[in-house]
Amino acid sequence: MIALEALDRREALRYLGGAAVEPNETMTRLMDGCEAQLLRVAQPKYLYRVVDLPCEELTVGEDIRRHLRGCDRAVLLCTTLGASVDRLIRVAQVRDMAEAVVLDSMASVAIEQVCRKADELIAAQFPGCFFTFRFSPGYGDYPIGLQKTFLRLLDAPRRIGLSVSESCLLVPAKSVTAIAGISEHPLERQRRGCAVCNLRKTCQYRRNGEHCGF
Amino acid sequence: MNTVDFKTLLNQKEFILLDGAMGTMIQKSGAHYAHSPETLNITRPELITSFHRAYIEAGADIIYTNTFGANAYKLMDSGFTVEEIISAGVRNAKNACEGTDALVALDIGPIGMLLEPAGALRFEEAYDYYRQQILAGRDADLIVLETMTDLYELKAAVLAAKENSDKPILATMTFERSGRTFTGVSPASAALTLTGLGVDALGVNCSLGPDELEPVVAQMTRYTDLPLIVKANAGLPDPNSNEYSILPDRFAQCVKALLPYGVKLTGGCCGTSPAYIAALKEMLASERFQPCPRSADTCVCSAATVVEINGPRIIGERINPTGKKLFKQALVNNDIDYILTQALSQVSGGAELLDVNVGHPEIDEKQMMVRVLKAIQSVCDAPLQIDSTKPEVLEAGLRCYNGKPIVNSVNGEEKSLATVLPLVKKYGASVVGLTLDENGIPKTAEGRFEIAKRIVERAEALGIDRRDVYIDCLTLTVSAEQDACRETLQALHRVKSELGCKTCLGVSNISFGLPNRELVNSTFLTMALEEGLDLPIINPNIPAMTGAVRAYRVLAGIDRNSLDFIQAYRDASPAVQSAAQSLHSLADAVYHGLKSEAAQATKQQLCDTDPMDIVNQMLIPALDRVGEDFEKNKIFLPQLIQSANTAQACFDVIKQHLSRTGDQSVSKGKIILATVKGDIHDIGKNIVKVLLDNYGYTVVDLGKDVDPQLIVDTAVERNITMIGLSALMTTTLASMEETIRLLRAEPALQNPDGSSKCTVFVGGAVLTKDYAMKIGADFYCRDAKESVDAAKQVLQQ
Repeated sequence: MIALEALDRREALRYLGGAAVEPNETMTRLMDGCEAQLLRVAQPKYLYRVVDLPCEELTVGEDIRRHLRGCDRAVLLCTTLGASVDRLIRVAQVRDMAEAVVLDSMASVAIEQVCRKADELIAAQFPGCFFTFRFSPGYGDYPIGLQKTFLRLLDAPRRIGLSVSESCLLVPAKSVTAIAGISEHPLERQRRGCAVCNLRKTCQYRRNGEHCGF
Repeated sequence: MNTVDFKTLLNQKEFILLDGAMGTMIQKSGAHYAHSPETLNITRPELITSFHRAYIEAGADIIYTNTFGANAYKLMDSGFTVEEIISAGVRNAKNACEGTDALVALDIGPIGMLLEPAGALRFEEAYDYYRQQILAGRDADLIVLETMTDLYELKAAVLAAKENSDKPILATMTFERSGRTFTGVSPASAALTLTGLGVDALGVNCSLGPDELEPVVAQMTRYTDLPLIVKANAGLPDPNSNEYSILPDRFAQCVKALLPYGVKLTGGCCGTSPAYIAALKEMLASERFQPCPRSADTCVCSAATVVEINGPRIIGERINPTGKKLFKQALVNNDIDYILTQALSQVSGGAELLDVNVGHPEIDEKQMMVRVLKAIQSVCDAPLQIDSTKPEVLEAGLRCYNGKPIVNSVNGEEKSLATVLPLVKKYGASVVGLTLDENGIPKTAEGRFEIAKRIVERAEALGIDRRDVYIDCLTLTVSAEQDACRETLQALHRVKSELGCKTCLGVSNISFGLPNRELVNSTFLTMALEEGLDLPIINPNIPAMTGAVRAYRVLAGIDRNSLDFIQAYRDASPAVQSAAQSLHSLADAVYHGLKSEAAQATKQQLCDTDPMDIVNQMLIPALDRVGEDFEKNKIFLPQLIQSANTAQACFDVIKQHLSRTGDQSVSKGKIILATVKGDIHDIGKNIVKVLLDNYGYTVVDLGKDVDPQLIVDTAVERNITMIGLSALMTTTLASMEETIRLLRAEPALQNPDGSSKCTVFVGGAVLTKDYAMKIGADFYCRDAKESVDAAKQVLQQ
């Protein structure tokens, strides 16, 4: 469905803390190895479905209503790297923790890359339309508990093996659910500000005076 | 009541026709339902009955109830109970069957949550979900477990069905184009495991169109004698129109092409309708069932990997506390990671199967067996051998094992035969049979052969295939009884050639009391292989032993074209031992994460420096320097971890030195770590563990998804008052709060004045300092480095 290509290392390095320096040879070698493993075992999949707005079940809270303002439809999306990546990281945690954290951060980069590809593929199905950025359960006041609804509406457990635990953790872990508004008219440019992000208080980027770019 | 039952159908009919999709029928009818399609059983019973009726009219011998998702989890917000939905579902189907011979199958799909280790749902909880459904469906004629992607979940369902009903069971899984399920289960593992568990038919449903299922069906049939089920989708759905790509006639033709693999039951899944079932009926009218006996030799498997015992296969013996001080200590400390490291290193060494023995007087062996088996299976695909002298431990292990394991062991004693063999049968395992009985180990080959024969006969009487009995003719110490070696080998030869059983043998005993044991062991191993040994139980990390097996496989013509041998040794070059003095100081080596150099440097330092001075004046300051650089973003997290692991190597050297010179401990204090209940992301906690370990603290790691009470109990039992908790999600912060509350409330963890003895430090992605303080933590640790700072502050007073 989606093929992963080279992973954005800058991004992965930011997750790993040392934003102030260039990676040395050890780090580079470690990342080479981890990238190769990830590209080998990952089985990226995505699934989407278009819903008409307003959709009561999905528009819970102020933030999502503001986000979807001006849209008459929305695309529900989920993506996953598959169970094999979780396992790869689990095994690495026994074998070599240094490798495990690199795999973990690179897998986070990978799933975001899968989402961006999925965005493009979906957008191509709706020529002339405009999209908001992806908004996920857990952003701002958008309840994390909606994960279950998303997956049910998408039939995700059966179709791509993505499910959610009782405490709303996606399984496999390297997965994303999101909703994006669709409009036939240009949308006011939104920025994924820190204000709606629930990591804003602990964010590594903010700590380093940076921004994640969303 | 029906006049026929499933077994009669199976015997009398050439083929058994199943129904087609229920979901597709509901969708096409445009019927509205509020929560899930199963609620229609109650709100629109006549509609559901009419769909069943249409399938029976099209020719279906068995119809599936509309209860696929009728479990307590999925129905949670539906306003109906499992019992209501299922009994209505069975009633609707029964009504449709009125006046016909059609049978009603209680349809059960996946729960909808992923099981451990990937997810948080425990095996035992999954069993309870299924048990409820099976009891609710008591009026059905048989049970269908379908669309499964996790063999572990399916095993829970099969056990629930077997233990709560006596109905026939059909079990089918869903495979992807990769040939595996989403969770990585292979068709071979599915076939082996389900056959062992005693289902009545097995196969594939949903997945792909019948045109793409040949590889899956072909693989399954190699590993089972059971009738196969194919209930495929009508091809692939068009993402926009949701129309399926394969029409009825072609569907039937594609299924026809699968008949030579022993397909006996067939129907349709997503996208099919009565027209597809009618087309199948028409096609089958002129076909004969083609039995397809299993062609594979005896096999054992995990969910992902099958090992066929068609030549010598190495069983790793290292997961066993006997004579191993560190292993015993790991068991007592609940140090599962130590055991996992042993598992992974044996597999890298060349083991294809692993023996697992956790018997130790100071622990609850049953609980530990379950915990260790689950943990090993979460990181390692090698099939396992469950090793215990206690039947209750064997059963607990068999229950929670995902795949087809080996039981180690049964012997010729009546008591053993009567307790162990029924377990082997029930859980579909293979078993090691030891040639000893009430009278001990017979001296002669003849005596051992007789016991082997008895074990095999008793196994067969219970329906266990003799190929699944692996006879161990027992190795005696050659320095004590020199001629016993020949008796062992002779017995082995006879068992292999006359009984047609596989054989296994623990090898290392042979050399006890002799010098150069490795030489004796590997020579004996080679002799035993030549007599027909299939499963040597050895330490695979001794190159001479693994090498003997690999070389034998080449010389005996088993390893064709020496492919495996070349693969194993292609890159091997003689190890270059660096005797050179370390170029780096100890501190530098730690800083740069150079493990072997650091260990070397530690050894040198130990010649003239007090061990505690090395720890406090060299190792800890070096780690501190790394930590500071990490805080200043000068290095990356993996480098911090590498330095910590390097320090670990130094600690190991020091510990060895200390254990030689006295019993002094280098531990700086004990700390409990846990990822809280509900949370299964523990990488952060594991990073903290590595660092604390390497600063010299003794960490008791309780793992992830840990019950608050277990944390309190462990703190009390082990007298530990420093506790670290991690939580990743906002949804699990409540568990963290609850854990802290319980810790504070526990009288045994309070000072005489009622204040808490515990120091709690917390961390996790969504946690903030304010929140940490609000829920009563003592320290908020932003990262692993800060956890070490907290530990230092508290434990070094």
